[in-house]
Amino acid sequence: MPETTRMVLAGEGGQGVQAIAEILAEAANEEGRQALYIPNFGVEQRGGVSVAFLQISDDAIGSPKFLKGDVVAALSDRAVQRTAPYAGPETTFIYDSAMEGVADDLPQDAARVMPVPAMEVAKKEFHPRVYNMVMMGALIGATGIIPLDRARAAIEKRFGYKFEKQPQLRDLNFRALERGMELGCGTEGVIN
Amino acid sequence: MSEELVIEEKRVFMTGNEVVAWAALAAGADIMYGYPITPQNEIMHYWSRLAPRYGKDFLQTEDELSAGFATAGGVMAGRKAFTATAGSGSVLMQEPLAMAEMMRLPTVTVVQQRGGPSTATVIYSQQEVTLTTMGGNGEGMRVVYSTAGHQDLYDYTIKAFNLAWKYRFPTFVLGDGYQAKMREPLTIYDPEKRGITLLEPDPYVGREGEPGRDRPPAQYRNTYNLEEELYEKLMSDIRDFEKISTEIAEYESMHTEEAELVIVAHGIVFRAVREAVGNLREQGLRVGGFRPVTLRPLPAPQIRDLVDGLKKILVVESAYGQIARLLKEAAYGAACEIHTLFKPGVGIAAGEIEDRVKEILK
Repeated sequence: MPETTRMVLAGEGGQGVQAIAEILAEAANEEGRQALYIPNFGVEQRGGVSVAFLQISDDAIGSPKFLKGDVVAALSDRAVQRTAPYAGPETTFIYDSAMEGVADDLPQDAARVMPVPAMEVAKKEFHPRVYNMVMMGALIGATGIIPLDRARAAIEKRFGYKFEKQPQLRDLNFRALERGMELGCGTEGVIN
Repeated sequence: MSEELVIEEKRVFMTGNEVVAWAALAAGADIMYGYPITPQNEIMHYWSRLAPRYGKDFLQTEDELSAGFATAGGVMAGRKAFTATAGSGSVLMQEPLAMAEMMRLPTVTVVQQRGGPSTATVIYSQQEVTLTTMGGNGEGMRVVYSTAGHQDLYDYTIKAFNLAWKYRFPTFVLGDGYQAKMREPLTIYDPEKRGITLLEPDPYVGREGEPGRDRPPAQYRNTYNLEEELYEKLMSDIRDFEKISTEIAEYESMHTEEAELVIVAHGIVFRAVREAVGNLREQGLRVGGFRPVTLRPLPAPQIRDLVDGLKKILVVESAYGQIARLLKEAAYGAACEIHTLFKPGVGIAAGEIEDRVKEILK
């Protein structure tokens, strides 16, 4: 890993992209590292592709804007198009393998292109709503950006109020996260 | 019953808008007046959530004209009053803030710049530099701090209240949509525990005693009958402003001695400059960085020194020459080449600056 890890995450509004970025940032901060997270937002209140920019470092972080990400993740087909420009020769590009018709939009010169069956796993093994947790697990698995227990603690902080009311959600989210991690660790993807 | 505000010194991780609300509390602000506009909305949200707990007030007005005048009124009543705005809202607010200049009112205004002109984008820019430093039909008798991140937002919001009440010039904290919306760590603290004395506000109107007998009458004018009368008043304010300028102007510089080229930027863009300077120096290029922290007054003597001893500067900003115009005025007559990288309304990454520097030094 370079000393600063730059990530771009994108998906449809409501898929939980901002939650992933917020949780990763929170977890890194709790570890005593530097983190900078910024959502990309437009005039529209809903709809559209939601993009999150995240940087984690051991040193002070510079500009919130960067040209190429070390890790770029697309949770929807439109997000593939939107994020492909952020992929460069050193980028790990992660996307959901269930997407159709994205082959032409995938970045050609990324270091590694990783399809992950996150949606399929979420649907079959858990619930479609934890798609983002599976994807976050895959990200952590593929990059080792934060330790799993920090991720769990940050999820607890973010969603603890929901877990209070429905404790089974805690288990569901944590299991989805761990399963995603397995997927991320186990997939080499296409190494260019 | 309201709680007593206790701010333990600690590292926190939050958005810039939340930082401003906490800083205003730490500075002892009494009331915020505001009208919603992205990307400053959450300053109002956080303030209106936090304020009542500590016996502070909030009033949402019908528009920015009203928010500005209400802030002026709050200040005249002896309250530490502030407002926050952006973009078109900032345009509307120039009318009341020009009155604040005329009447020497210590208003504090936080501006989170968005794209312009008009509605443009709700995201980010550095296009409100001219408006914030020189807006209004006057001479720009105002103090403007340009922040480069969350620690700055906290430190300079606290400072803005003190400076405004000490010198009685409208004071601005100039942030942007990136700083407003991003999350990063900073240390919050109780300023008094760090030895910063918070100035107590005092009322302009409604003081005790009989005017003319116990105290001078309170007369604050924004209207003058005679040219000469206005001239005298303005020159007195201008002299006051010039007198404090060297004292309050702030800047940051890195590796400017013996540099072949110095990159000049303000606000969040300077973070990309810090990164670029580091990378370029590693590659053996003699490059430095200079950041005016106060855009009004500018650190003019330091800019003068910089350009007098230098062959080239590169001005970088997310606007088309707004800070460059201010710099050129301060650097007038110097032989130094002025190069530019202007990207109005968009963020600037370190890599773009590095490419531009290499192009210039080629």
